[in-house]
Amino acid sequence: MNRLGRFFKGMNLTVFSLVMVFLYIPILILIIFSFNDAKIITGWRGFTFKYYPLIFQTPAIKEAFFNTMLIAGLSTLISTTLGILTALGLENKKFSGRKAMQGLIYVPLVIPDILMGVSLALLFNFTKVSTGMVTVLIAHVTFCISYTVIVIQSRLEGFDYSLVEAAQDLGAKPSYIFWKIKFPLMMPGIIAAALLAFTLSIDDFIITFFTSGRGFDTLPIYVEGTIRRGTITTINSLSTLMIGFTLFLVVITKRVRKIMISAL
Amino acid sequence: MRQSPQQHRLERRRNLSSWLLSLPTMIWLTAFFLIPYFIVVIYSFLSPDIYDVKFEVSLDAYRQIFSGEYLRSFLLSFRLAFYTTLLCILLGFPVAYFIARAGEKLRNTLLIFIIIPFWTNLIIRIFSWRIFLAYNGVLNDTLMRMGLISSPLEIMRTDLAVILVMVYVYLPYMILPLYSTLEKLDFTLLQAAMDLGANEVKAFFRITLPLAVEGIFAGTLLVFIPALGAYLIPQLVGNQRSLYIGQVITYKIKNIPRNWPMASALSLILLLLVAIMLLIMFYLFKRQRRRKWQL
Repeated sequence: MNRLGRFFKGMNLTVFSLVMVFLYIPILILIIFSFNDAKIITGWRGFTFKYYPLIFQTPAIKEAFFNTMLIAGLSTLISTTLGILTALGLENKKFSGRKAMQGLIYVPLVIPDILMGVSLALLFNFTKVSTGMVTVLIAHVTFCISYTVIVIQSRLEGFDYSLVEAAQDLGAKPSYIFWKIKFPLMMPGIIAAALLAFTLSIDDFIITFFTSGRGFDTLPIYVEGTIRRGTITTINSLSTLMIGFTLFLVVITKRVRKIMISAL
Repeated sequence: MRQSPQQHRLERRRNLSSWLLSLPTMIWLTAFFLIPYFIVVIYSFLSPDIYDVKFEVSLDAYRQIFSGEYLRSFLLSFRLAFYTTLLCILLGFPVAYFIARAGEKLRNTLLIFIIIPFWTNLIIRIFSWRIFLAYNGVLNDTLMRMGLISSPLEIMRTDLAVILVMVYVYLPYMILPLYSTLEKLDFTLLQAAMDLGANEVKAFFRITLPLAVEGIFAGTLLVFIPALGAYLIPQLVGNQRSLYIGQVITYKIKNIPRNWPMASALSLILLLLVAIMLLIMFYLFKRQRRRKWQL
């Protein structure tokens, strides 16, 4: 390899390393500072563990956590179910509503989130629905559907129809074929879609912000409010726990993926 | 080819079942995605009230917008989206290239490292930047202890901080699509070009870049458009002197006195700008693809 080639290779490695530092420094700082003995954003003031127990003693955090999990669970369930049905419907390439349906699914993905938030806020105002758990749930399902449909659909695209034909030739009933062949083969896609919907839901701030109203906080809403008011004592430690939860999910999904692959 | 009546009937039945299967989602998205935009259109022509809207037709919102009152916010948002996208491409390309050329086993591990921050809660990541960049935060503390600066740098609450955190948050959205096109790239082409006497620079601009254009487009779609509507990052690390359009819209909805007609009109204009951007991008993308086929 000549000098120019080595230079390019070196440059890629350098940029990669710098980007890694860039991506992880804030997260590391957050974890370290969750043990910082200070009430406001400031330099290092000595080690403490006192903010961790405080998380579990704050009722507002407990409530926000419960709300987040409730919304994430329900919106995952609803959006994944709708995703499965729609993906099965779109499987038929000659479906006369295919283009319209696909447009309806792709358009929300290319519009800034804030516009979905605004439009839903005005819808709930116009229809005089009081904001709270139900409106947040509706909003979350709305932004999750596109993702669940696309993920499950992409799984169906690589589907081996000779399996279905073989079963038909051997005289299997359609319902038997669906539950014993098609559904198990769709399962990895369904799990991936559900996990994506779940993470999107627990992560969302802006759409929840527009549709929650007072008195129904999810964790991101609670955290933002706390940062704005400047009382940040528990935020570092709460954040560290949430990062831990993410890492846990990453490990779990890897496991799940492995199990799914070995099961096939 | 003519179909037998039996085949025809079967197809009609399959079409009907497709409709039935798609119907719940179709109804859901019509009710909660399409109809709300009609309400935004209606509200943009009403009069504001302190808490709500008055059902009196008024063109005030549009009049105010076209007098240029919010032009600065739109321009700020465009500038932010532009710099964020540009920096994401410049930083993301070498990273995606590096991962795509790594060994097969290493590749998945490296990808996981890119995805983890992306799975970590957005607000938490923004908050950690506040700890890092604050006036008496980690960065200033470290630099002062090292004797590199004598007084703290004021990075927090500047437009620079907004761009920095935006790049931080959106970088994975650029790296992942870039990686997936670069991964499919046939690197023997590069070798062939260089055997024929092209140097690395020439090979990059004539082969790698044109073939990676699809990834750049996909990444731009995922970065530029959300960046146009950014609210949270400017709100948490920016300042109140330069308000981005996402902040203006949110304030008009949330802060009292409310101005929902204005928020609606601004939202519609933002939507229109996004649509124009999308059309331009798809046009460029198509042209590029046609050119690729001609090669």
